[in-house]
Amino acid sequence: MKLFKLAGILAGAVAVMASVSAQADQLDEVIKRGTLNCGVVLDFPPMGYFDKDNKPAGFDVDYCNDLAKALGVESNVLNLTWGDRIPSLVAGKTDVVIGSTSDTLERAKSVGFTYPYFVFKFQTISKEGTSLSSFDDLKNLKVGAALGTTYETEYLAYAEKMGWGKSNYTSFKSENDAYLGLYQGKVDAIISTNTNIATKLQTNEFKDYVAGPYVPNYDDVVGLIANRSEGAWISYLNLFLVRQIRDGNMNTHYNTHFGSDAPADLIQSLRDNK
Amino acid sequence: MNYEFHWNVVFQKMPELLQGAFVTLHVSVLSMVLGIVIAVFLAIAKMNNKPPFNYMASTWIEIARNTPALFQIYMAYFGLGAFGIHLSPYMAVLCALVFINAGYLAETFRGGFQSIPDAQYNASKSLGMTNFQTYRYIILPQMFRRIYHPMTNQFVWAILMSSLGILVGMNELSGETQRFQSLSFRTLEFFMVTAVLYYIITKFVLLSAALISKRLFRGEI
Repeated sequence: MKLFKLAGILAGAVAVMASVSAQADQLDEVIKRGTLNCGVVLDFPPMGYFDKDNKPAGFDVDYCNDLAKALGVESNVLNLTWGDRIPSLVAGKTDVVIGSTSDTLERAKSVGFTYPYFVFKFQTISKEGTSLSSFDDLKNLKVGAALGTTYETEYLAYAEKMGWGKSNYTSFKSENDAYLGLYQGKVDAIISTNTNIATKLQTNEFKDYVAGPYVPNYDDVVGLIANRSEGAWISYLNLFLVRQIRDGNMNTHYNTHFGSDAPADLIQSLRDNK
Repeated sequence: MNYEFHWNVVFQKMPELLQGAFVTLHVSVLSMVLGIVIAVFLAIAKMNNKPPFNYMASTWIEIARNTPALFQIYMAYFGLGAFGIHLSPYMAVLCALVFINAGYLAETFRGGFQSIPDAQYNASKSLGMTNFQTYRYIILPQMFRRIYHPMTNQFVWAILMSSLGILVGMNELSGETQRFQSLSFRTLEFFMVTAVLYYIITKFVLLSAALISKRLFRGEI
């Protein structure tokens, strides 16, 4: 009987310890686990893509690796689509998503944002010779973008304001599909980010294409996202981002992926957190 | 689970979701009607050993039944697009669903046809009926009665498969859900409401089919 009693006490103690460790926050969890599960959208070059050896690469992937290094853990990069970003956090499959997530107030009700880590411009890309000199020329063209992106939202809001309607707009499941649709001529122009367009223009398929006007009056400021309730984890991520700039890692990665130093105004706006 | 539900975000978008649900209903009903008509011909073609029709029917059925719907929808949109044939997302999904429905139903119908004794064909021939009359008045009514339940299964599948329209940017229920969840990031709420909407659509379609069949078959089912 004594043995049972002892076993009971032991079981109780284990349960208590388990419930104590269940209160450990995400930061503890990552460190204990020894792996950082980092979500990146890998069809969005040069932020995230698969390199020649089919390995994840890009600016966001480098950030994942830097973060893992800072934490002293292994980096595990998970490939996400735009739409998978939040479900992956809610399901606990990722600890953080470094995936160019626009920091809207609407989204911040659902998910925790860090300080901004990058600023994009939204731009059009179309075949050479398409009459697209100002953003308003899109009225007469077939336009596409990737489903669930901020540029889709921005375009649709603009189109509604101007009374263009939705009939000439097509959404695509992914960034790659949007470019495929443009390439096949399903749409005349697509909207994407300046960085992605610049990368695509260097490829053979898009050598006859040109970058067009920007979406008016819009800077796409993006942050990392994590579980909203994980305040300590988010402040760790914030400090990480500050240090990326202060220690020069940001500039190094920018050089690797964009072929030049990071523009002073980009650095300044990130320093100002806006 | 550490999650607070925000339902009001979903209810604000209800009109758009219902519009998406209507597109879902629309495309699946249409794909089913067209699929049934084509399937009758495919089944007859496959049963009568007359080349090249039996080969064409067999090929159709084989491809439709043994390749994923996802692949077929993708082929209809981007595959044909590579040849410069541009279907709208709606048309691409409709074509793919008709293709699949016809393929599956053809096999169901063939089973139905074969369950009707040969004697009935012979009897109607001996009454001087033409082939068309035989099928129209004798065979098809009995066949449809027998395969009614398997057919409604396919109907449910068509509704659920139409959610793959999201792949090609169709504004059906899943596509709209995806768009709104990415605006607000209330993923779980939107997905749950959408699941309920799919359930309602499916039940609604099955109920309507039951009512129609009751009239059509006069309770002999």
